[in-house]
Amino acid sequence: MTLAWPRVAGPRVDARDKATGATRYSADVEPEGALHAAVVRSTVPHAEVLAVDASAALAIRGVTAVVTAQDLERRFGDELCGRRVRDMPLLARDKVRFSGEGIAVVLATTRQVAEDAAALVVVEYRELTPVLDALAALGPGSPRVHEAPWRYDGAVVDQSHPPNLQSELVEGDPVAVDEVLGRAAHVVTRTYRTPSGHQGYLEPQCWTASPRPGGRVALLGTVKAPYRLREQTAKTLGLALEAVEIDPVPLGGDFGGKGGVVDPTLCAALALWANRPVRLALRAGEDMSATDARHPSVVEVSVGCDADGALLALRVDAVFDGGAYAAVKPIPSANLHGMAECALGYRLEAFSVRSAIAYTTTLPKGHMRAPGAPQAAFAIESALDELASAAGVSPVELRRRSVLSGGDRDAYGHVWDEARGAETLDAALEAADAAPRPEDRERPGRRRPVPSGWRRGRGVALYARPTAPPATTSLRLAPGDDGRLVVELPFPETGTGSHSVVRDELAAALGVDPENVEVRQVSTGLLPYDPGVGASRVTVGLTAAVHQLASRWWESGGTEAVTVETGSGTDRPALSYCAQVADVAVDPETGQVLVSSVVTAADVASVLRPRSHRMQIDGGTVMGYGFACLEDLLERDGQVWAPNLAELRLPTAADVPSLRTVLVEGGRGVGPANVKAVGELTNVPTAAAIANAVAEATGRRVRQLPLTAERVFWALHGETGGETGDEARDEARGEARNVARGVARGEEGPA
Amino acid sequence: MKMHARVNGSPFVAEVPATSSLLEVLRGAGLTGTKEGCRIGVCGVCTVLVDNRPVSSCLYLAGCADGADIWTVEGMAEHAPSVVDAFVECEGMQCGICTPGQIVAVASMGPDVRDERDVRHYLSGNLCRCTGYGTIVEAALDAQARRRDEVAPA
Repeated sequence: MTLAWPRVAGPRVDARDKATGATRYSADVEPEGALHAAVVRSTVPHAEVLAVDASAALAIRGVTAVVTAQDLERRFGDELCGRRVRDMPLLARDKVRFSGEGIAVVLATTRQVAEDAAALVVVEYRELTPVLDALAALGPGSPRVHEAPWRYDGAVVDQSHPPNLQSELVEGDPVAVDEVLGRAAHVVTRTYRTPSGHQGYLEPQCWTASPRPGGRVALLGTVKAPYRLREQTAKTLGLALEAVEIDPVPLGGDFGGKGGVVDPTLCAALALWANRPVRLALRAGEDMSATDARHPSVVEVSVGCDADGALLALRVDAVFDGGAYAAVKPIPSANLHGMAECALGYRLEAFSVRSAIAYTTTLPKGHMRAPGAPQAAFAIESALDELASAAGVSPVELRRRSVLSGGDRDAYGHVWDEARGAETLDAALEAADAAPRPEDRERPGRRRPVPSGWRRGRGVALYARPTAPPATTSLRLAPGDDGRLVVELPFPETGTGSHSVVRDELAAALGVDPENVEVRQVSTGLLPYDPGVGASRVTVGLTAAVHQLASRWWESGGTEAVTVETGSGTDRPALSYCAQVADVAVDPETGQVLVSSVVTAADVASVLRPRSHRMQIDGGTVMGYGFACLEDLLERDGQVWAPNLAELRLPTAADVPSLRTVLVEGGRGVGPANVKAVGELTNVPTAAAIANAVAEATGRRVRQLPLTAERVFWALHGETGGETGDEARDEARGEARNVARGVARGEEGPA
Repeated sequence: MKMHARVNGSPFVAEVPATSSLLEVLRGAGLTGTKEGCRIGVCGVCTVLVDNRPVSSCLYLAGCADGADIWTVEGMAEHAPSVVDAFVECEGMQCGICTPGQIVAVASMGPDVRDERDVRHYLSGNLCRCTGYGTIVEAALDAQARRRDEVAPA
């Protein structure tokens, strides 16, 4: 175990360019003669589009066209767009299903003219009843978001399902759960809620498309999975795969949000339609209210244990708001893989998981860092504390008795050779008790001491995540002009340091100086398929490919270019635990929560670039803290009420808790580099650890995120004893309103 | 209107509409190292120095910078090389989109910014979604230490 972070010897491949402003991102690319596109977006959540009047926009000097769905259909046919489920039009046809959906596009010679003209396009709507609540959407009598969703290409539902079901995932055995819970000594059943959120990357999405001879098109922009975008674009526009080329460019942050929106495909269509380069750049606010957000959740958990506090059975029943379209979700189930794996961390006699995603007339929901897992972990790890309280055992003891050890069978039936649940939990607790200096237990940006009347609490949460065998990818190695080696890879640097890992690993495998290896992302036409950045697969897949590439290079004499295309690996998966301990202080008068410290223990194997690895851990924890305490896109009435970075409230350097990390070293990883995934580990349990700490500090349980001062205040002061902050608040407000009405009618107020 | 200024040490003359932001003018002149983020002055990715004061160039009218001494990230290797080196060596970045603003903000720190608490407050107008801030704060402290050494060599 170690608490120190050694400095790496070699700087990142991209460090100097990034530190001097030389790196060119999507928004820094503007081809000669490009037209600028501005999208006319719906202002209502659900409506028929009766008419689009572009005359005022067309009268502006510099506007070359206003493009509608009909224009695109005449050119490209009526294929819908999507990654798995193709249910979303590039521009709304007759009907809009969320506020923010594209209706028309203004093309103009400058961005300013395009944006100004887009504001002059008048859309006439006939408003329809919006569908805003995921639970109600799946119930009887809800208006339909789509007439017949089972008819869409790639649909994962059929006619027997409720008409607003996007996707349903079912795991485990609900009958066995009923039976086991029936004989459990203690059972709790609780419901937890989380809001929608933006991934929070600071680079707004932006694409540039250029027509190429022979009806082909080249596209460059904020794209983390170029080969998948190529496929989506070719399919939607009726082109051959080779007719679409995705060009390389680094990303200014991703966190799941830059994988699958329809706008890049729209941009390609516009370039072909206009036969000119077209640049479609979103403003930050537009990005936050019209791309893809994290799924809001309502998660019911039932969990039971025996008289000694050993877990017996777990049922997780989640309903997610999927928004207007399933198009942005990439996995075959069009569901959230964090839900599929949510019962992984504990020994259980029985479990069942149901994850239903509903169509609503809200912003389409996509992926955000470990999709589904933070929502599930908040619910499950909060419920475990509630169960511990019911059973009269400590939350730590409850978890320690049921975490997996080597040789244990998990709830899904898989036997893990190595599972280090107890070690990881104990490492976190030990570090939390042994802060090197007293101030390391307090938020480092804090200016004043915590007032003595504030209540202190500590909470713990766990998360277990598998590292899958290496996924398909490709690499090419060639001698460069200047005596260096050039390694080409098929996906962008999103910021994680993946390109630096390739350089370091290849240099080590070939025994050359890393300075002599140049790393380049190349166009999709130049390398075989790669599924893109995501699902924590990059380091595992890349390092496996690097090792193959190095052997091939030597076999072929080390002078000619070689390409490797790796298939899916057959290595045994590995399991990582992450344990977090949060310390909070709560102001009993206002409900304000101050998170003093989060200690993270991460179960790791080899660490390739220690500082890059650490930033995945720290950055994840801070994202988890934002999810717990600050961030909410505030989707209300079918509108995003927080469509800017001032109101979304991402954590600042002054906000964040003291972060300390213990690496539980010596684990068995996956692939030749012996690694475990870390990118989607630490952001998952943080919210539950903090909520559990708040519950310990206040004696009240808030089951809805974020843990705002208002929610905590009402949990402390409301009549319902903190069932959820919002319910207590609504009840109190309702009473206040009734009193006010009574006063207005001349009745006496309460004494 | 005509804007006369110095940018990164060189004379800079541009014809700018009265409503243009400094960000638009700089990027339009090819200085794309300064990024557009939130456009409402809260994220800090567009931070530049105007007469050694860090400003959000998205909200700063170009006309107001007439006559000013402006430095952007492209000039930092010359204006504040120890800050650039500190960010490179401490790996104070991931995706890099906030990095220009972070570096420019650190370059504007006075000697009164000494410890971690000072740095975290000074940088609280520069968001980062990737790193969790630890390596950025370390880079800033490292840069401050280097600059102290430069001013008063041992």
